[in-house]
Amino acid sequence: MHTWRPEADNLLRGRPVQARHGEARRLLHLLQLLVMFGIVYGLVMGSFGGVAGERLWQPIYSGLKVPLLLLVSFGISLPSFFVLNSLFGLRDDFAQVLHALVAAQAGLTLVLAAVAPFTVVWYLSVGDYNMAILFNAGMFAVATLAGQWMLRRSYRPLILRQPRHRLMLRAWLVIYAFVGIQMGWVLRPFIGSPDAPTRFFRSEAWGNAYVEVGQIVLRAFGGG
Amino acid sequence: MFRSFKQLDTILRGDATRMSALREGRIDVPVGGILGVVAGLGVIYGLCIGSFALFRGAEDAMHQLIASAVKLPLLFFLTLLITLPSLYVFNALVGSRLSIVSVLRLLVAMLGVMLAVLASLGPIVVFFSISTTSYPFMQLLNVVMATVAGVLGLAFLLRTLHRLVMVQEIEWSQSAPSVTAEPALATSTSEAAAPAEQSAGEATGAADAPEAALPSEVESPVDRKRDVMRQMHQPPAELRGALESDGLGTDRRARAVFRIWVVVFALIGAQMSWVLRPFIGNPGQPFTWFRAREGNFFLAVADALKNLLGM
Repeated sequence: MHTWRPEADNLLRGRPVQARHGEARRLLHLLQLLVMFGIVYGLVMGSFGGVAGERLWQPIYSGLKVPLLLLVSFGISLPSFFVLNSLFGLRDDFAQVLHALVAAQAGLTLVLAAVAPFTVVWYLSVGDYNMAILFNAGMFAVATLAGQWMLRRSYRPLILRQPRHRLMLRAWLVIYAFVGIQMGWVLRPFIGSPDAPTRFFRSEAWGNAYVEVGQIVLRAFGGG
Repeated sequence: MFRSFKQLDTILRGDATRMSALREGRIDVPVGGILGVVAGLGVIYGLCIGSFALFRGAEDAMHQLIASAVKLPLLFFLTLLITLPSLYVFNALVGSRLSIVSVLRLLVAMLGVMLAVLASLGPIVVFFSISTTSYPFMQLLNVVMATVAGVLGLAFLLRTLHRLVMVQEIEWSQSAPSVTAEPALATSTSEAAAPAEQSAGEATGAADAPEAALPSEVESPVDRKRDVMRQMHQPPAELRGALESDGLGTDRRARAVFRIWVVVFALIGAQMSWVLRPFIGNPGQPFTWFRAREGNFFLAVADALKNLLGM
């Protein structure tokens, strides 16, 4: 664990990791970073309702859920992306692609952990639950953009070598966003409304993010 | 089983359908092995679809699960069976010399691609089965997944068919009068390489969107020869008439026929899935192996869309 700082620094600067590590080891390191920083942000995120008594569970749940959100979405999206890459004749680059994808996710959590202090200040100064949701959405947006930027950076040499990678990058974003949005919905609550009891999942039906949003939009336009 | 998976992998990666492999007009695909893998992958995706009934606690969830697992491979095999004769006949009609065995191999390879894509989308379907209560959403999600797999599979088929036609074109030209061909070959080999490459790239780019998106062949000696052949059939005007009438004209006609056929395949597949329904199993309805004969696939998709939007 003591090696995480140079590791994280390399990740941010997009430096190639030392060759003495095997490919599997490097991926493992990145996954460690992802889980560690994800837990950090989750702990902060879940602390909105306070940490006294029963409330203590919410930060712990959220700490588990942030890495879970990223890792499970990743795992679900990966098989189809692998087949797609093979079908487009890009199998030989897949080790590099996999590394780029995991690195982008680890980078995302790293940025999240870096902005966690902002979230603390926000929680301390604004007591409104809805504003807390909005603020966290903003932080996730910033982190996602940073992750996206890192992914593009590692994809650049791949695209130069074979322009088809550009199409694959877009395909990945579509697949991953489609799964990730629903995963975020399923894993609610991340912040924990102070008025509701602390739970791992919302017990009222899981529902479907797309159906819910679609209905909200229809209601807004239909007036019904 | 493991060996068959490796063979499917060579198809996916495009190794089995390279120009050099197709040179003899044969496709080296072990039909039995691939069909086995296709059936296995079909069962897996069928289970993924059927899991919706299980997670929604439908009464006969186990039956639905079994029915979906059996029906999904069946859907693809039946579609194959129905479309095989017409592809063979049209193929022969436009002058290709593919035997019916080669056509079968080609279609089996296409099924391999489709089912590999479909099965790889399985985890996404299961995840939505677990977390979604909306039946019309699952219907549409499965339509989208099947469309993605179908488009990729058919694009693979088109690409391979076009390559086969090209390979045969080359063979035909090689057996054509060599007296006129020889000088053209000699002069154009050097300077033809670069512009011919470009024009070939443009041709595939304009041909078809999904097809163009798939990888084009790595430049091999056969490709270069093809380009040279293309160049060659410009200058000798007296030869052109002969070429159009019984050799190179086939290329264009064959492409048109294949494109039409691909649309037919998609329609048959969609309607077949309607005949074999239910795959997902409406949680509000009792389990049946098959449903009564009514409506069609496209009306049903429109209905699901309306349901989902609450209209």
